[in-house]
Amino acid sequence: MNTVLDIKNITKKYSNGVQALSDVSFCINEGEFVVIIGPSGSGKSTLLRSINKLIEISSGNIYIDGEDISKKRSKSLRLLRRKIGMIFQHYNLIYRLSVIQNVMYGRLGYMSNIKGVLGRYTEEDKLKAIELLKEIDLGDYIYNRAADLSGGQKQRVGIARAIMQQPKILLCDEPIASLDPSTSKIIMDLIYNMARSRNIACIVNLHQINVALKYATRIIGLSKGKIVFDGKPDQLDNATIEKIYNTSMQNLIISGELNEA
Amino acid sequence: MSEIAIIAQTIMPQIHICKKGKIRTYKEGQNRAINIFLIGTIVISTFSLMMLDIDWMKILSRTPNIGITFYKLSQLSFKNFDYTIISFLQTISITILATIYSVVIGIVLGALASENIVKNRFVTITMKSFFTFLRAVPTPVWVLLALVCIGLGPSAGIIGLSVHAIAFFAKAFSQSFECVPSEVIEALEVTGANKLQIFAAAILPAAASQIVAWTGLRFEINFSESAILGMVGAGGIGFAITTNIQGYNYGVAGLAILMVFIFAYLIELLFTTIKKKYI
Amino acid sequence: MKHKRSIINKKEKKVYTYFLVVVAVLFIGSTIFSKYNPFEILLEQGEFWRFLTVDFFPPTLQNSLNIFESILITIEMAIGATFISGILALFFAMFGSEYISPVPKLSKVIRAIATFLRNIPALVWAFILFSALGIGTGVGFVALVISTFAFMTRAFIEVIDDISHDAIEGLSVVGSTFWQRVFQGVIPSCMQDFLAWFLYCIEVNIRASTIVGMVGGGGVGLVLFSYLKSFKYQTAAGIILIIAATIILVDLLTGYLRKKVLL
Repeated sequence: MNTVLDIKNITKKYSNGVQALSDVSFCINEGEFVVIIGPSGSGKSTLLRSINKLIEISSGNIYIDGEDISKKRSKSLRLLRRKIGMIFQHYNLIYRLSVIQNVMYGRLGYMSNIKGVLGRYTEEDKLKAIELLKEIDLGDYIYNRAADLSGGQKQRVGIARAIMQQPKILLCDEPIASLDPSTSKIIMDLIYNMARSRNIACIVNLHQINVALKYATRIIGLSKGKIVFDGKPDQLDNATIEKIYNTSMQNLIISGELNEA
Repeated sequence: MSEIAIIAQTIMPQIHICKKGKIRTYKEGQNRAINIFLIGTIVISTFSLMMLDIDWMKILSRTPNIGITFYKLSQLSFKNFDYTIISFLQTISITILATIYSVVIGIVLGALASENIVKNRFVTITMKSFFTFLRAVPTPVWVLLALVCIGLGPSAGIIGLSVHAIAFFAKAFSQSFECVPSEVIEALEVTGANKLQIFAAAILPAAASQIVAWTGLRFEINFSESAILGMVGAGGIGFAITTNIQGYNYGVAGLAILMVFIFAYLIELLFTTIKKKYI
Repeated sequence: MKHKRSIINKKEKKVYTYFLVVVAVLFIGSTIFSKYNPFEILLEQGEFWRFLTVDFFPPTLQNSLNIFESILITIEMAIGATFISGILALFFAMFGSEYISPVPKLSKVIRAIATFLRNIPALVWAFILFSALGIGTGVGFVALVISTFAFMTRAFIEVIDDISHDAIEGLSVVGSTFWQRVFQGVIPSCMQDFLAWFLYCIEVNIRASTIVGMVGGGGVGLVLFSYLKSFKYQTAAGIILIIAATIILVDLLTGYLRKKVLL
């Protein structure tokens, strides 16, 4: 199996002195579905955002498909970012544009500067977007403004946009944190199936341990910027969970939201 | 229609195809209103620029002079500093007095223009249109008129500024007063309170925070207005700036301009901090 | 609970008392300094009322063609200056907003320049430029552009910072270029607010161009000033009415556009 992401000894210290990540290392292979769990402030979000250089790390190396993103700048950074799709908690769409336009702009990284500026997408790209919109069942909304959609629909558009990039890796930053339980299930299923069928490696930040156990092929537990657990879901026992969240089990709500799932 | 468009349409019949046979990525007319507005703006603006018939070459050829002027202004000079500082204090006191008088008068007139206080629509509408008229005439015009009427001096400045500010406050305050729900007023009317009591007990406190916000905003405007009063002939720092520029005392004028800038900047900082803290 | 409440009230009362004391001190100080007594002026100076009621009435118009032409110049100045400032401000705001600027360090510089230009009134700019370039419509125009540009840059930066942080992040991660982010992200998301500010600046500049005109920028302001100087008060009153009517019309029009286009 090919390694698509190789993280070597990265640390991140913010200018206000907060040590968000200290000496984190792991690699991820093609087709893995990795869930990162950990309490708020443990560095989950920082870790995810360092991978596509939304946040600049203080030291260490991040190799994407063999290339070190921390050394990339402007054009070569853009070319590498195409390989990394990202799904956000707040969807991060352009609300005044139509749904299909929002999906299309996943292609911007592949277009010449001027064509992207003018929004001149090729017919092939449009067809690809339409196929994706069909797959996520938003056919009736293609010409609606993104602002008019419900939360779950917005997140589906976000997923389609990420897939349009034809990424090697999909980063999902708490994709279901703003959604209700039943919509959460739809979204998680969609991310899982999309990633699996296209053999995309997926890293998901989650707060819900039961959701993590259900989907993950591998779980990474983060606490105070350090990896405290890295293994298969069935290896995650109560003692480890207590260690990750730094509290005893009775203080945690583990199940409930997706019991029926 | 292109082949791809046909395939796309079989996959998803909801899609639109544009005249050239390509797949549409947005609904026809999604941005029509804005596009018409933009085109209209560009046409009217270009037309205006052409009609103005400005000799751009002449202005461009003289731009180095701006640098020279700025250089001269930056050689700050403390000559006649006592006169500069007195003019500056005069400007500030004009600002303060105009603001205070217009807030007080604005509250009274604003109340008279509020529909939930004065139940006579003829009165409120007449008042409101009168304020609209007063506001439509730029402040310096009012100052000029005051100058003509009562002669030189800070009083003309204060009156001119006040006319505009009163109209501004009356409109803003009456909007705030009208936001007080009529049930509150009726509940007090039942208890036998008279109009003045109702106004002081219910309406004024409810609108207090907005009154403060509007006053802060107007204070900033009043300062920059009173700083320029002198340029149309009233006193204050504006007069110092113009006479010194015209008398080639650039250093003195530069210092006066710097004082205006620093004070305006301080007011801005003060109000943004207050806003962040309390609103 | 009750105890706690009374403490807050005390604190609030203290703030109010301080505030009132400061206002009272400022009021008394300013009154003494400027020797301003509104009652004296209103009651004792019959001149004041005579001027208002006799000298300015009835408003008349001499040379009305000339006056309308000058009004047109004032309007053209306002629209043209706002337009040019808008385009410049759009460009600079893209580099001035921390979120999207390709050179984040530049954003502080642009903000500082805008703050400096904005806190000096337009008329002061006019005087500085008149002394450097000589008087005339073109120079008045440039003065208007300077202050409007500074105001709009700041307003546009705030719009961009407010609206599009998330959206721009979404665009950045797909590997888009700076100009793609601007045209596919910022402009579609912020256009409405940009245009609302544009309309606001038209309203402000119609007034400002009248005033800049008075001190040498041409247009209706200059015409009004010359009639006042030559004691032709009735014509001056007529011009003031026309200025007011024009400004009210422009305000109505921009209000209409705001409701129709920008919703």
